[in-house]
Amino acid sequence: MEENFLEIKDLKKSFGTGEAKQDVLRGMNFTVSKGEFCVLLGPSGSGKSTLLNIIGGIDTPDSGFVSIKGDKLEDMDEKQLTVYRRKHLGYVFQMYNLIPNLNVKENIEVGAYLSDKPLDVEEVITTLGLQDHKYKYPNQLSGGQQQRVSIGRAVVKNPDILMCDEPTGALDYKTSKEILALIEDCNSKYGSTVIMVTHNEAIKYMADHVIKLRDGVVRHNDINSNKIPASELEW
Amino acid sequence: MRNPLIKRIPKELASDWHKYLVIILFMVGMIGVISGMYVGRESMVSAIESGRTELNLEDGSFELSHRASPELLENISTGEKADVRQYFIDKGMEEADKEVADAIEEELNEQVSKAIEDGVRAQCAALGVADEDTIQSYIDAAMEENFDSALEEARNSEEFKDAVEEAYSKAHDAVIEAVDEEWSDIEEEYNLAEDFSPVSVTVYEHFYRNESEDNDNDGVEDATVRIFKSDSVIDLASFIEGRAPENTNEIAIDRNHADTVGVKVGDKITVSGREYEVTGLLSYVNYLTMHESNTDLMFDAFGFDVAMLTPEAFNELTSRLHYNYSFLYDVKPEGKIEQADWSERFLKSLITQTLVDDNEIKDYLPVYLSQARNFAPSDIEGDSTGTGIFCYILIAVIAFIFAITISNTIDKEASVIGTLRASGYSKGELIVHYMSMPVIVTLAGAALGNILGYTAFRGMAVKMYFNTYSLPIPRLVWSPSALVKTTVIPLLLMFFINLFVIVKKLQLSPLKFLRHDLSKTKRTKARRIPAWSFLSRFRLRILFQNIPNYVVLIFGVILSELMLCFAFGLTDSLNNYGERAPEMVFADYQYMLMDYKDSDGNAIVTDEETAERFSCTNLMYPKENTSSMRDGMGSGGDESVTVYGISDGSSYISLPGGIPEGHVYISTAFRDKFYLKSGDVITLHEEYENKSYDLTVEGFTDYEGGIAVFMDNSSFNETFGKKDDEFSGYFSRNEITDIDEQDIATVITADDISKVTTQLMHSVGGFIEIFKYAMIILAAALIYLLAKIIIERNEHSISMVKILGFKNGEIGSLYIIPTAIVVAVFTVISLAVGYFMMLWIFHAFLMQMDGYFAFYMSPLSMVLSVLYLLIGYAFVSVIDFFRIKKIPMDVALKNAD
Repeated sequence: MEENFLEIKDLKKSFGTGEAKQDVLRGMNFTVSKGEFCVLLGPSGSGKSTLLNIIGGIDTPDSGFVSIKGDKLEDMDEKQLTVYRRKHLGYVFQMYNLIPNLNVKENIEVGAYLSDKPLDVEEVITTLGLQDHKYKYPNQLSGGQQQRVSIGRAVVKNPDILMCDEPTGALDYKTSKEILALIEDCNSKYGSTVIMVTHNEAIKYMADHVIKLRDGVVRHNDINSNKIPASELEW
Repeated sequence: MRNPLIKRIPKELASDWHKYLVIILFMVGMIGVISGMYVGRESMVSAIESGRTELNLEDGSFELSHRASPELLENISTGEKADVRQYFIDKGMEEADKEVADAIEEELNEQVSKAIEDGVRAQCAALGVADEDTIQSYIDAAMEENFDSALEEARNSEEFKDAVEEAYSKAHDAVIEAVDEEWSDIEEEYNLAEDFSPVSVTVYEHFYRNESEDNDNDGVEDATVRIFKSDSVIDLASFIEGRAPENTNEIAIDRNHADTVGVKVGDKITVSGREYEVTGLLSYVNYLTMHESNTDLMFDAFGFDVAMLTPEAFNELTSRLHYNYSFLYDVKPEGKIEQADWSERFLKSLITQTLVDDNEIKDYLPVYLSQARNFAPSDIEGDSTGTGIFCYILIAVIAFIFAITISNTIDKEASVIGTLRASGYSKGELIVHYMSMPVIVTLAGAALGNILGYTAFRGMAVKMYFNTYSLPIPRLVWSPSALVKTTVIPLLLMFFINLFVIVKKLQLSPLKFLRHDLSKTKRTKARRIPAWSFLSRFRLRILFQNIPNYVVLIFGVILSELMLCFAFGLTDSLNNYGERAPEMVFADYQYMLMDYKDSDGNAIVTDEETAERFSCTNLMYPKENTSSMRDGMGSGGDESVTVYGISDGSSYISLPGGIPEGHVYISTAFRDKFYLKSGDVITLHEEYENKSYDLTVEGFTDYEGGIAVFMDNSSFNETFGKKDDEFSGYFSRNEITDIDEQDIATVITADDISKVTTQLMHSVGGFIEIFKYAMIILAAALIYLLAKIIIERNEHSISMVKILGFKNGEIGSLYIIPTAIVVAVFTVISLAVGYFMMLWIFHAFLMQMDGYFAFYMSPLSMVLSVLYLLIGYAFVSVIDFFRIKKIPMDVALKNAD
């Protein structure tokens, strides 16, 4: 496992000014190794989504830096950041954000188009268990199925890092476990580093690396040597 | 791998097909019309231009009061100015010689008579004869016997010869002295002092006669026909149908006139009492429109015709022969400035040459100023430019509609865009994606539009022009410039307007899209609104939320109302002018005479009791500070003004007494066209001489029939140096039958005024009716698209209020009433905007032409123009209501973040 694949150093971020100023990240430091399944755990307002957005290059820190494979994001202009996201990242959000007038296969192709080394779309569809639904449109799918498509769209890029922002936040227990299992599969099958933001404590048991955040700082930074499969998670 | 987002395009087209159908139909219609107009125009213009050389079009023409001598024609050809000084000296000496000769003869006779009488009386006294009667008888006898020999003796005396020589010499010196004294005035009058280089020309006789035409052979004159000879070598005709006349009972007439009055080849028409068979329908190269006079406000294909007869038939006619001459420059001028310069130089030469030959110019018209030749091409050009601009405005409106639709789509798809941007889609890729729909729709519209333009619409445009003007047969011209104007310009308009909006919209960061935080500016405080009922406040909020959409909607309403004002106003103005035509003549008959004396030198009189003499002259008023949309119209850019000298106590035009010298009344048309007021000084100048007159506007005469100035007769004679008994014609309530036709130049009746409207209604009446209804459909379609945007934008809220339990009727009233109020209020406001814009546009248009024609819109038309637009909107709101009914409740739930 490549260490310091992703490095977060002294990361600070605040919103608002004057009395309304709110420090969301107050000097955050940690590293993530390549291929790691990393969970950012914390309650609402702990700064986990902001952290994920900064790692994803769609938000900028006030100070500190994020580097991936030694390349600092702060040195990149907007175009380079777009290329960075395009080449290295796959995104999964709580809301699926699928394109309503494209079917399942086409929505996954939207991700494949961005990559120099995409996975086979049909194979991803099979992996996600969507082969019977590939010509359906998002409004013909359940929430869980839509989230699978959204994962497919991110995974098909064969990204270095799969960024997941509360991917199960809008799903029921059973479906959530299925989705987590899928992300786990993608992590092991395609070797993508996974950074998942969640407030669900149970999910930490399936992670290699658990970072607990509270009030904008890292409270715990633990390596989980006894991780269990997603299917065995209970909450 | 192809961008999978492309697959969205056909799906989006299919899912919103009715919107795109309306837009594509719009584009196809617009582009098709522009394309058809341009291709039709270029086909027409090409045919007109090729006639210039193929049909030997003159460079200009002039008419003389009598036939030019060969020497005069030769001198005119040189383009040189004549020796005016010598002319005046010769003329003066001729008169002086005559006077001197008469004086000498009288003196000699007197002296010889006296010598004889004195001799006889001396002899009688010597012989003692005292009776006076006897003396007188001797004197008479001596006179008879000796007078001639004594006269002869006296003439031969050296003393007499010396005296005669001295008298002539003194008289000649006096003439030269007088000419030199007045030389500066003469120089100024004839522009002799200026540097001058001659323009040599070749002059052709091109005589014509104006005859009366009775085209339905009912014994009533229907038109004036201007007849040329078939052996003319200049200003030839192209035959649209049939052939030239070959014998004295055959005639070929203008094709457009024939179509207008329903005459066909083979028909018989009566010209000045004689019947002719129509053998051909033609188009003279210098008569593309039926302008009888170059100062006519409008051509008249009903009442004026040009025709061709064999030379023999022409010579058999008896009406006044117009000594018209056409000329061609030996070296062609290049460009408009040179054309104007050469024509002016040639005119200066012509004025002096005709002067020294004791001839007189009755008319002079360089072809570049000829209405009959230039009105059609200029109008065709103006039509296509006007239509082009109008269509581009509409395309720009459609582009804005598109831009707003896309902007709303971007709002709706904010999360997806945020996700795509976060996943690595570049801004450029998304811009290209959102730009592709307007570009594809425009390209599809342009392709279909061009196909229609080159086929159906071209044919329609050509037919329209061909029906209105007397044009040669058009040839199909493939126009690359039309392709640019119909494809590139709309595409660029669509491209840049959408690019601007989309680029601006996609400037936001991916995070903002993900958070649906799409407003660039900080959220302003909520507007305070009065404590109305909940529903009223809700409606007001809807209005505030959709301000940008309503701005475009309002623009669409203003544009639609302007178009309706144009359609209604043009018809109304024509009808109004036509109805008021009888009020626009001073008299039922206005006779303009050739001269105030007949060929015997007696003043022309009439026994008609209502006849009243008047004087008149035509001067020019400079149209300074007015831009010229069209070149070569009217009288070289100056307005032709008729100045009337009115008899004291006139029963036709009442002028207050005691108008000071140099003060005049002007027609209301003159006032309105040039925004003149009492006390203004107007400077009128002679057209062919370098003379001008400063006149002060004293007041206004209620006359809308023309640009006219009125002064009392004595003031007129004084100002223009006329003799006291001189006059120009008669006003009369009844027809004057006792004046020889040869002495009458023209007769003006109310029909002559209304011919403008008759012709315009014939040319454009049908088109305007279609235009009116097309505008209503267009306005409804525009409002449909804009109202659709407003509903689409509010789909989420509509869905939400449905969930809350509002009924469809209530929701309809919430979302339709604000739009209805905006449409209704701005339709009324737009009527005012459209009306005043039309006043301005109409006035600007008239400034390019001679004469005046007030824009008028009847109250009924105003009401109808608003009503039609509202009816159009009523249909749209019914569609809107069904649209609202169809919005499902899960829209609000599905997209909830």
